[in-house]
Amino acid sequence: MDEAEVASAPGTGVAVLGAAALLQACGGSGTPSPVAPSLPDANLTASYQAARFLQHAQFSSSEAEIAAVRSQGDSAWLDGQMALNSSLGAWDWLKQRGYDVIDENRFYEMEFQSNYMAWYQIMASPDGVRRRIALALSEFFVVGGAGVGTLTWGQFAMGAYWDVLCKNAFGNFRVLLEEITLNIAMGEFLNTLGNQKEDATTGRLPDENYAREVMQLFTIGLLQLNVDGTPKLGANGQALETFTQSDVSNLARVFTGYESDNSEGYSQSAIAPTYTIRNVGYTRRPMVLNAKRHSSLRAEFLGAVVEAGTDGKTALKIALDTLFQHPNVGPFFARQMIQRLVCSDPSPNYVARVATVFNNNGKGERGDLAAVFKAILLDTEATSAAGLTSTTFGKLREPMVRTAQWGRTFNATSLKGTWKIGNPNYSAVDALGQSPLQAPSVFNFFRPGYIPPSTAMALSKATAPEFQLVNESTTASYINYLQNFLINGMWVRAPELIISPDAATVTDGPDIVPDYTAELALVGKPVELINRLNLLLCAGQLSSETVTMMVTALSYDQANASSSDSTKRSYVAKALMFVMCCSEYLVQK
Amino acid sequence: MEHSDTDPTRREFLRRTGQATLTGLAAPWLLNLSAMGEAAAFASTDYKALVCVFLFGGNDYANTVVAYDDASYAKYATIRAAGSGGTNGVALDKDALAATLLKPTTALPQGRQFALNPAMKGLANLFNTGKAAVQLNVGPLIVPLTRDQYNSSNRLKYPLPPKLFSHNDQQSVWQSSSPEGSTIGWGGKMGDVALSNNSDSLFTCISLSGNSVLLAGDSALQYQCSTSGAIAVRNLSNNFFYQTEIKNAFAAMLQQPRKHVLENEYNTVMKRGITAQAKVAQGLSTVQLQTAFPAANALGNQLKMVAQLIGARNSLGAKRQVFMVSLGGFDLHDYLNTKHAPLLQQIDDALSAFYQATVELGVADKVTAFTASDFGRTLASNGDGSDHGWGSHHLMVGGAVKGAAFYGTAPPVSITDTMAPDDQWHVGQGRLLPSTSVDQYAATLAKWFGVADSEMGSLLPNLKNFGVAAGRPDYPTNLGFMA
Repeated sequence: MDEAEVASAPGTGVAVLGAAALLQACGGSGTPSPVAPSLPDANLTASYQAARFLQHAQFSSSEAEIAAVRSQGDSAWLDGQMALNSSLGAWDWLKQRGYDVIDENRFYEMEFQSNYMAWYQIMASPDGVRRRIALALSEFFVVGGAGVGTLTWGQFAMGAYWDVLCKNAFGNFRVLLEEITLNIAMGEFLNTLGNQKEDATTGRLPDENYAREVMQLFTIGLLQLNVDGTPKLGANGQALETFTQSDVSNLARVFTGYESDNSEGYSQSAIAPTYTIRNVGYTRRPMVLNAKRHSSLRAEFLGAVVEAGTDGKTALKIALDTLFQHPNVGPFFARQMIQRLVCSDPSPNYVARVATVFNNNGKGERGDLAAVFKAILLDTEATSAAGLTSTTFGKLREPMVRTAQWGRTFNATSLKGTWKIGNPNYSAVDALGQSPLQAPSVFNFFRPGYIPPSTAMALSKATAPEFQLVNESTTASYINYLQNFLINGMWVRAPELIISPDAATVTDGPDIVPDYTAELALVGKPVELINRLNLLLCAGQLSSETVTMMVTALSYDQANASSSDSTKRSYVAKALMFVMCCSEYLVQK
Repeated sequence: MEHSDTDPTRREFLRRTGQATLTGLAAPWLLNLSAMGEAAAFASTDYKALVCVFLFGGNDYANTVVAYDDASYAKYATIRAAGSGGTNGVALDKDALAATLLKPTTALPQGRQFALNPAMKGLANLFNTGKAAVQLNVGPLIVPLTRDQYNSSNRLKYPLPPKLFSHNDQQSVWQSSSPEGSTIGWGGKMGDVALSNNSDSLFTCISLSGNSVLLAGDSALQYQCSTSGAIAVRNLSNNFFYQTEIKNAFAAMLQQPRKHVLENEYNTVMKRGITAQAKVAQGLSTVQLQTAFPAANALGNQLKMVAQLIGARNSLGAKRQVFMVSLGGFDLHDYLNTKHAPLLQQIDDALSAFYQATVELGVADKVTAFTASDFGRTLASNGDGSDHGWGSHHLMVGGAVKGAAFYGTAPPVSITDTMAPDDQWHVGQGRLLPSTSVDQYAATLAKWFGVADSEMGSLLPNLKNFGVAAGRPDYPTNLGFMA
């Protein structure tokens, strides 16, 4: 009703605009100024710095976390987070939901529950730093869920893959590389699973997919690199490639003979037609070697040699050690992790500092991931004030990270506990454009070398990977996607069931719901509300002009403390819509 | 590959109904630092459009345009039958190919014959009725190469395209002559020279497939439309904000220029989208296509929207347009037998309907569709699939295509590494060494589109190494497949 009065009274808006502008200009008569006055500036700056660090290191920054970082310091707080045990894993979470049951629901034929699992993991599981790092790793060692839908118990295979990333997030790169190589989801995705040795009679050759991509994408890349990530140049000024097709064809022999480990046995499916189904446990067992299918040919790659007749286990060790020891790995991995966590176009010096830590953590260990991620997050380029005033520093927040941030900031929870957040890209009209663990190919959602054409970035050759997702359709679609849940939460089909019926049910409705208690208390107080969102969501990176603009706009909404709950929720959602669509929020510095 | 425990047909069904896959996500691209030359415009009174149909993942050429004459088929079948467990491996049955035999008006030398994959009956019909043609063994080249030259260590004299066999890079090289990081493509450069013919330059280069470097020019931007048309920001028209003042403030915020380059680029795209949406919605409202497009066909959905946009060309003020559509899933290291034909069926259904739509719109000879892909694949089998290759066969479809014909040279069917002539057109395992370059292929399309010979070098930096002027009349700059 408040709204109708304003809308129906010509001229009222102009008057309100004038008043609001006046209030901001002079900070006048009882209305707080847009710059939050509740804390002295030094404290506010410290809170902004803490929030900025938290939003690099994890998905969100709560008031309690900001206080903890401020009291402990960045480094000690991060050490504490890295020392936490990994919380409930994805595989166990899926089992806990009941998706391991063999019944008429035929979960063994499905993969899509990995969406539920992945969204829960990034939006709600307690150890946010480990999950944030695992998400970054999932965009480097990519398995796209749709690509393993051919596996029995595909969702559990994706769960086991995610668990490998979480478990090793602060371990050693070499261990992670081996566990990923033998993970069954990766095996299916890049065809190591079932890969057979050559057959001289028929001319059949080993599958080359994993051999190529483990070099190109997971370890060394295509060009020889300096420690700062820039390409080494040959005598003629040309970049030098790291490997040839011959290296691929030879290395492919190492990855032959791998099969699933079915030692946990089989069960009969419940209804006709009955099948013999592998028990779900096989999805978290590393693939096993069948020596009869493993190539015994000599293999020569990257200067290393696997002699003819070498056993498969030894061959794998030679291959992975060779890749791990290659001087490219540090800068190649460091630059991409910096891009995922901090900025799109890091300076060569930043890459070099992190790569140096990868090469040696100071105690003689190569590939210490805890040290690498600490180096990334605590680097001066990530933390210094210069990045806040630069016109180029930062990165576009990934769409899925925005959603996870919303969920964590407002303690979103599943009312029925089923957490059925599907792939939010069903319709082009209101899609997020991204979903965790659902990259369309091993090349991830975007490329680390992507430079948006016809832009200032193209002129300066600055990479901006996330912009590969930005276009005239997706920018509008994202706003429509937000409108679907900002007011009342995410709509779910039959939230009390672990299955999703095809037809509508009477219980369909919002199930993943935010707790806006603190924000609802600020309805009618746009200055306080916007300042709160600026701290929690933006680490204070909304400019004072933008804060003023948002406050002015919200001042037209007459909702106040005595308005109905739905009116107040709409008010909060409007404020969130402004913040989450504002370019100063979208580009995280 | 490992086969599932249950019925794959049912599994496909369940996965489809269970969850949609990502929509609208583009593959990678990227980096040409070539000089930003001022392109000369050309004047046109008629309408012409090019439609790039990109097959992401690297299409398996050998099971798409299939060796059919007895001698070639026998070699193909022997090589490809290298499967496991006494199966046929990845060879197609010859009997199944008879219905899609291609019948060119002029037969190929040495009795060579080809059939399309049995799933491609519509395109075989278009070929045989003169509306489609096949370009044999085309791929990126910097200079013409023999296999010896490919193996030469003299890379200054015999340069190779960068990062061969790599998906993301070869996608980019096909579209822009440069690997990942490239920012200028030949479709966009065509747009640059055609811009002045269009009253709204934004509708010159349109992608239905997300960001593609093909369509990025110096001046020409790529407008990215969805299969649902232009997407409106709902809350600029619905009651979410309720008060007009709040709505206006939100609209202004979205489109505000920014000093920070990333922020500014985001808002620039947003503003372009909001502006274009109203025009596209208006234009599309005037188009009523009767042609039926296949349901549940990702490529068909894109081509249907392209046809509708072409139908709206007068409303959008377009005389020259370049479109990009795509289909993914071709990286079939595994499951070639079960997954390839359904993909080709989608192409066949979609392109057949699209051609019919251009007939309905009266522009069949004004619209030319052509295929492209990361690379071809090996002819050798890995048991149930094939691996990354180089040259491939591609299709051109439309009333202006001089159809019922093969262009280029049919490669020998061989995977051995000998000095024999049959082994000089692959670089191992049947990875084709292209005998026609992408630059020649693109130049032929560009010439028809209206690009002057003097402008070709700015589109296609390696074209200078081909054709009569380069002393290589065996690699002509106009392949002759366009009327």
